[in-house]
Amino acid sequence: MKFMDWLDERLAVRQLVKVMLTEYYVPKNINFLWSFGVLIMLVMAILFVSGIFLLMYYKPDANLAFDSVNKTIMMDVEYGWLFRHTHAVGASIMFLVLFIHMARGIYYGSYKAPREIVWITGYILFILMSATAFTGYLLPWGQMSYWAAQTITTLFEKIPFIGPDLVIWIRGNYIVEDATLTRFFALHVMLLPLLLAIFTAIHLYAVRIVGSNNEDGGELTKEDKKKGKGISFWPVFMAKEFFVMSVFLVFFFYLVFYQYKFAMDQINFIPADYLQTPHHIYPEWYFLAFYEVLRGFFFSQNLGLIAFLFSMFIVAFLPWLDTSPIKSGKHRPLYRIMFWIFVADFLFLTILGKLPATGLYAWLGFVGSIVFFIFFLALPIISRIEKKRLAGGM
Amino acid sequence: MKELKILLILIVLVLIGYWGIEPYAHSVMHGEVKQPDHTYKDVPKNIPTTGDPVKGKELFTTNCASCHGLKNDGVNPGMDIQTSITSFKVVPPDLSNIGAILDEHFLAYFIKNPQDATKNPKFAMPPMAQLSDEDIGHVVAYLKSVTKKDLTGKEITVEACGRCHSIKYQKVLSDTPKEPLKEYLGKVPPDLSVIGKAKNVEYLETFINNPQNTLPGTSMPRLGLTKESTEKVVTYLDQIADPHRDQRNTLGIWVIGYLLFMAGITFAWKKKIWKNIH
Ligand code: HEC
Ligand code: HEC
Ligand code: HEM
Repeated sequence: MKFMDWLDERLAVRQLVKVMLTEYYVPKNINFLWSFGVLIMLVMAILFVSGIFLLMYYKPDANLAFDSVNKTIMMDVEYGWLFRHTHAVGASIMFLVLFIHMARGIYYGSYKAPREIVWITGYILFILMSATAFTGYLLPWGQMSYWAAQTITTLFEKIPFIGPDLVIWIRGNYIVEDATLTRFFALHVMLLPLLLAIFTAIHLYAVRIVGSNNEDGGELTKEDKKKGKGISFWPVFMAKEFFVMSVFLVFFFYLVFYQYKFAMDQINFIPADYLQTPHHIYPEWYFLAFYEVLRGFFFSQNLGLIAFLFSMFIVAFLPWLDTSPIKSGKHRPLYRIMFWIFVADFLFLTILGKLPATGLYAWLGFVGSIVFFIFFLALPIISRIEKKRLAGGM
Repeated sequence: MKELKILLILIVLVLIGYWGIEPYAHSVMHGEVKQPDHTYKDVPKNIPTTGDPVKGKELFTTNCASCHGLKNDGVNPGMDIQTSITSFKVVPPDLSNIGAILDEHFLAYFIKNPQDATKNPKFAMPPMAQLSDEDIGHVVAYLKSVTKKDLTGKEITVEACGRCHSIKYQKVLSDTPKEPLKEYLGKVPPDLSVIGKAKNVEYLETFINNPQNTLPGTSMPRLGLTKESTEKVVTYLDQIADPHRDQRNTLGIWVIGYLLFMAGITFAWKKKIWKNIH
């Protein structure tokens, strides 16, 4: 242990290990939904590693990109296909675990005081992750890459005054083309991952400071921890975590090897062609719900755009929409009903988002979009009802 | 147990979502793919498909060899590539093995009326009105007599599709350059290197059987491949698009087996650590 002493004198590692691991306490009454933060980190690591290997052979050039991905990486490089499958499935599953992580936070009221900063930094991470996925999806330069980017960037045209100029500024040209590819590449491999790393650090730091929430929403006091109401992060919490991770990896690699098609759209194996619009253009599945809110207001593009922006941003304001002193959904029957309606609606919108927006589907999309917002609008009302009830001494 | 209940809810939600965005969405977007018709029901079957190969060769030399070569029998096309591109915007294919690739009734009817047989009114080969039905029988007999047996998927694909399509990743370039093809067909036919990933096997079979089945009005001609040739072509296209399938399937078993083993170990460790925690 000479080396440890030497290191301890210089970096105070023993103290660090105590503060970070062995004497950091997590509540006991948490379920495996609290493992999803760590699962996100695991997927993030997988994305970083597979991404670096892809980067070694990928060529960010409109003439070379498609072949560098579909020939060089998929066919010529040893296990290149494994890295591409892993990266594509990883990106998709990232959003699955993110959605579950966020839903956990919503159900148990983890966004409430004192965790507002945890929530806001988490939300910023979600936006950054969405931007990373969106820019990354253009890189293979297939038909769906191209037309999804074309469609989504066109949305900005509607912004008053600066819209049309903004679109050209984002694309680097009048249409999506080589300049767009190279700038999306720069964002995807450099700026966005850097920001993700920084905000993850802040997010985790904030979680350390305020501690984890739990099923019942009560906070651990110092005495609680001593009395053994909490479990130490290392080794107790992590022992369970490793098991959850192993099970998750079985599921993950099953997808990578045998069920990867949902993450790699067929149409994207046709090279980008700006003269030929595909019959159906849709984003990756994790954006479908928001996309459906955009299309839901089928009678007015402007309204749709506003609703779309709201649907993406309103989540950040949860701590201020929901002011009820009761934290966990476990003890809030009204809230729980709204929560499950919201989850069902999100799923409904996701499914509708891929279907052609015509006839009945268009109207269902409209209804679904309205229901999406009802959850958020109901929160202040539920809060008032609950406050009254508490004041009434119940 | 509570944890299992939560897991069950997650699984049900994920499965509903998956069903919606994959099988259900695809069935709504693409509808049902028609079944291929390998007997070519609409093609008249009254033109003979047998006859005298020797007479057939004579007829071939006088009527077909001005445009088509037949390498198997040492026949060179009467026209060089440049001339045929200027005349037809597409290079007439070498017919060495066409007798084995195409359905014989289709072939006979095709010689008589290429535009109707291929469902492409602008098809570049003129109808052979000078040939009687009996003559056509001789030509078909000749074409069948010279072909190689047991063609591979690649050979069939190159001979039947190679005048229009490239397969870049297999270093196969179309006989005809892009510009004349675009003039002739309205668009450059897509490269077939990874078409097996862009389309599934059932779709390809139906499409090749009759392009009008899935793309009404398309300029790709119906080619009249036999069931066997179609299947070989589709298998070939599927296999070149996904060359590492076997490696993937085997490696997958090892990786998942290893992870299951890890899950067992980590579960045991968790049990041990959590024994005293209630
Ligand atoms: C004037 C030139 C010309 C003559 C003469 C001609 N062909 Fe063709 N043939 C073509 C061209 C051009 C094509 C390719 C057209 C295309 O693919 O759009 C073609 C295609 C074909 C094909 C391929 C059809 C398929 O389904 O893949 C066959 C078989 C064929 N010809 C047989 C014959 C036979 C047999 C004769 C003689 C009886 C003949 N051709 C005479 C120009 C000619
Ligand atoms: C006479 C030229 C010609 C020949 C010969 C030809 N094709 Fe095509 N092919 C085309 C054209 C043109 C298109 C584009 C069709 C469109 O998009 O309308 C096409 C499209 C396709 C497509 C894409 C279909 C889709 O849904 O987008 C496939 C697959 C295909 N061809 C396979 C084949 C195969 C396999 C063969 C040989 C057995 C073949 N083609 C022979 C001209 C040809
Ligand atoms: C790259 C993305 C993210 C990473 C790496 C990440 C990581 C983590 C980790 C490791 C934890 C602690 C373990 C846990 O409670 O699960 C955590 C907690 C938390 N995260 Fe995230 N997270 C990310 C995105 C988000 C997002 C998008 C949100 C919501 C908008 C969010 C909200 C929260 C909240 C509220 C907590 C505290 C939960 C509680 O104590 O109950 N995070 N995060």
